[in-house]
Amino acid sequence: MENIIEVKNLRKAYGENVVLEDISFTVGRSEKVVLVGPSGGGKSTLLRCLNRLEDDYSGSVLFEGASVSGAAKEELRKLRQKMGVVFQQFNLFPNMSVLENIMFAPVKLKIDNQIDAKKHGLELLDQVGLAEKADAYPQSLSGGQQQRVAIARALAMRPEVMLFDEPTSALDPEMVGEVLSVMEKLAKEGMTMIIVTHEMSFARDVADKVMFMDKGRIADVGTSEYIFHESTNPRTKEFLAKVMA
Amino acid sequence: MMFNFLEKYYPLFLQGTAQTIIISLIGIAFGILLGFIVVMMRMSRLKVLSGIARVYIAIVRGTPAMIQVMLIYYTLAQFLDIPSIQFLGSTLDRVIPGSIALGINSGAYTAEIFRSGIISIPVGQTEAGISLGLSEQTTMKSIILPQAVRNILPALGNEFISLIKESSVLFYIGVQEVTAQALGIGGTLYNYVPPLIVAAVIYFILTFLLSQLMEFIEKKMGAKYAHIN
Repeated sequence: MENIIEVKNLRKAYGENVVLEDISFTVGRSEKVVLVGPSGGGKSTLLRCLNRLEDDYSGSVLFEGASVSGAAKEELRKLRQKMGVVFQQFNLFPNMSVLENIMFAPVKLKIDNQIDAKKHGLELLDQVGLAEKADAYPQSLSGGQQQRVAIARALAMRPEVMLFDEPTSALDPEMVGEVLSVMEKLAKEGMTMIIVTHEMSFARDVADKVMFMDKGRIADVGTSEYIFHESTNPRTKEFLAKVMA
Repeated sequence: MMFNFLEKYYPLFLQGTAQTIIISLIGIAFGILLGFIVVMMRMSRLKVLSGIARVYIAIVRGTPAMIQVMLIYYTLAQFLDIPSIQFLGSTLDRVIPGSIALGINSGAYTAEIFRSGIISIPVGQTEAGISLGLSEQTTMKSIILPQAVRNILPALGNEFISLIKESSVLFYIGVQEVTAQALGIGGTLYNYVPPLIVAAVIYFILTFLLSQLMEFIEKKMGAKYAHIN
């Protein structure tokens, strides 16, 4: 399997406080990697290091063989275009309609012209089940709808990988399902995905690889079957016992 | 009658009002432009630029407007050769440096207003922009600033209102705006109170109309975001 992302010896610290240490892993094309673990364990920070929303770390991050960690400004912009990000807080642009949110970057960055971007945007909205909301403004949508728009917006750049940073953590419980089902569909279509989540049953069903992170390190890693059923790592077992109870 | 003098002197008040409006408009336009440049410097990662901006803001906010106006007037008058063409009762070589001085004063306050508007936008908006591969400049221009401008509109309106009132300091450099006219007329009448009351009423009407206009604009801009808050 061809590797899309390679992380080697990543370490990040704020002064004395080490938040990530000795992180190395690879992500193959179309692989689904899920990061689980207790809060403060470094999952989100690690995800944000991948496209350098978090900067100032040592070690290396490669994306399709190109160095993200060492990229200059322009190179980094090009690499980021291929890495879609979905945030916990959605972060839709409130000054733009739903469709404008989706079309803005592809048009601005000349990935698509206005007509193609609109066509593509409407297709994506249809895929996430929100075709009728194209002209609505984000504030008029529910959290679940906003997050689905955010997924469509990231997909509009035709990314090679999608990074999800706790995509359902800010949602009311009844809206979690609609977002997870969009993500499941995306997974089935073969998208490469790296997901930070607390939704354990989703992790178990979708993940090819589960990384259990604790205290800034990858404490345990393996297939979903391994992590959820076979692992004898005491910290993994303790964590799962708590969250699955 | 207390205000009988108006019959004779109303043209001077009209002229003074026009002068006040013109210097205030030039002042606020220049102040907004300057404030925008200064806030970009202030928020720059280059220490030199943000340092210059901080010093400018500190000096303007920490010294009286009257002294700023006089310093700028006497300095500019020395270096710029502005012809002393008559303009609404005073001369351009006073009106132009005076308006610029108002703008330099206002720029420090508008810069701080812009800054508060920009930092009020959640950092997630910038992160979403750059994660799509947009440059920081594009993200600022198309995503952050449009939202910030909407947030700071009331504060900018207030700044314009205080600038109209503070434009009376140009009296000290001989610009014949409303206050200067009132004082001149008061001197002729040997009674300052009635013309100063007229001046106060004129300032009040100007600022009241402006605040109504700002309210209208805010409502209009708010319509699109009806669901916010």
